[in-house]
Amino acid sequence: MRGPSPIEVRQLRKVYRQTASGQEVVAIARLDLTIEPREVVAIVGQTGCGKSTFFDLMIGLEQPTAGSIVIGGKTPYGDFDHFRGQIATVFQQDRLLPWRSSIDNVRLPIELMGLPEDVQRKRSLSWLERLGLKAFIDAYPHELSGGMRQRVAIARAFVVEPEILLADEAFGHLDEVTAAELRETFLALARECGSTAILITHQLEEAIGVGNRIVVFGKSAELLADIRVAEWGKAEHPVLREAIQATLQNNRPDRRLAREPIVGA
Amino acid sequence: MSLEERRESILITAFPRQALVSIAILAAAWETLSHLAPLLGIPPFAVPSLVRIAQSLTTITWIDVVVTLARVIAALVISFALGLALAMGMYRSERLEHHLRPLIRLLMAVPVISWILFAVLWFRGVEFRIVFVLVVVCAPVFLVDTLDAMRSVPRELRRMFQSFRPTPVQFFFKLMLPAIVPGIITSWKINLSLAIRVVTIAELVGAVTGIGHRLAVSQELFSVADVFAWTLVLVTLLFVLEALVVRIETRVLRWRA
Repeated sequence: MRGPSPIEVRQLRKVYRQTASGQEVVAIARLDLTIEPREVVAIVGQTGCGKSTFFDLMIGLEQPTAGSIVIGGKTPYGDFDHFRGQIATVFQQDRLLPWRSSIDNVRLPIELMGLPEDVQRKRSLSWLERLGLKAFIDAYPHELSGGMRQRVAIARAFVVEPEILLADEAFGHLDEVTAAELRETFLALARECGSTAILITHQLEEAIGVGNRIVVFGKSAELLADIRVAEWGKAEHPVLREAIQATLQNNRPDRRLAREPIVGA
Repeated sequence: MSLEERRESILITAFPRQALVSIAILAAAWETLSHLAPLLGIPPFAVPSLVRIAQSLTTITWIDVVVTLARVIAALVISFALGLALAMGMYRSERLEHHLRPLIRLLMAVPVISWILFAVLWFRGVEFRIVFVLVVVCAPVFLVDTLDAMRSVPRELRRMFQSFRPTPVQFFFKLMLPAIVPGIITSWKINLSLAIRVVTIAELVGAVTGIGHRLAVSQELFSVADVFAWTLVLVTLLFVLEALVVRIETRVLRWRA
């Protein structure tokens, strides 16, 4: 069974040096976080708080300046190839290859993994069907709507049946109805596949609508709050919503989050 | 109607409507001028009639056309391979790019005629001289166009692709190459026209076969009709090659809106 290993983020730090000025920018000051297997975590924070840097570090495209992200004893950056087919991503824009049809875009990750041709086709078709795109398998990205393109991108992420799913502002550019619908589909499929899902967003409503855990990032990815939604009964709990809002606005943990939440209050 | 069919129909219908009318007007004007030439004090051989040009066309030696075509294609293939290899190297190594960029710009600034003179002075073999001139002129164009196309592959697409952990070979063949195909095709169009013009000049100097050589012979014989006939062959050759590239482009880039 997949997903046996937790994601352990230990004293993670990422500093960039600006090319023009040579000045250092602290994207992530020091982050400690543990994400359990099959958890669905929403990371919320204001623009520029280091969410996307965390996303890049999770994928393994960036090397941490200090600290580490360890998954099953391996690091996404240092053991880059080890995570082929284990970490899948859905980006802010669909990022489909314009010269590939829907099915060819979906099969891309498993094609790179070297799976047999017939398996590639069968699996890609199955995921496109599950996402309601059976009639559009041969369509090119420019022939699809924004929502449909994002569905293809979701199918492309799930086709590898990943251990970890990462979504960076994946639904923020869509209209409200489509975004909500796709979010639901994404979460249902993540649960079905037993994947650990991390959704990064700057929208509180999206964070509330997503996870069983909400992590609030402050400036330089300072961990302002780490909320287990079950303890509050539901994510829509009015006190919880207001407290997260206040945390984001003031860039410091709201005192209401420190109190013992009353389930169902 | 599919995009491909639409593009083909544009090619078929636009050519007769626009180009044929212009060519017909030009031919009529030329024919009139050839008849009026003696009255205007112009020597009759300078403005031959269309019939005389047609007669010259019947004397075209196809072996010369084939030789010129072979030189152009061989040189373009070599230039493309060289340009692509260097562009890949420069894309991967900033240091290499910093060293080669000024050199490439220098090469591109040298007039074609200078290259021909260098070739005549440096090399003995006629074929080598011609191919050298063509390669030295066309390869930098391929290089610059390919490198620009590589640089303009969006960072977002590269990051997305890298997130799937491809091998370097997969990264090139499954992302970079398809992404730069439009730029490469445009470069082929530019270089085809350039190569046809350059090969003619190169063949004028020293070659004993080819369209350029035939043009030189026609000039020595003061046969304007023959010069016209060979020029028409050259222009037709260029049109045919360009049409071939457009056909390939339509097929390869059918994914474009």
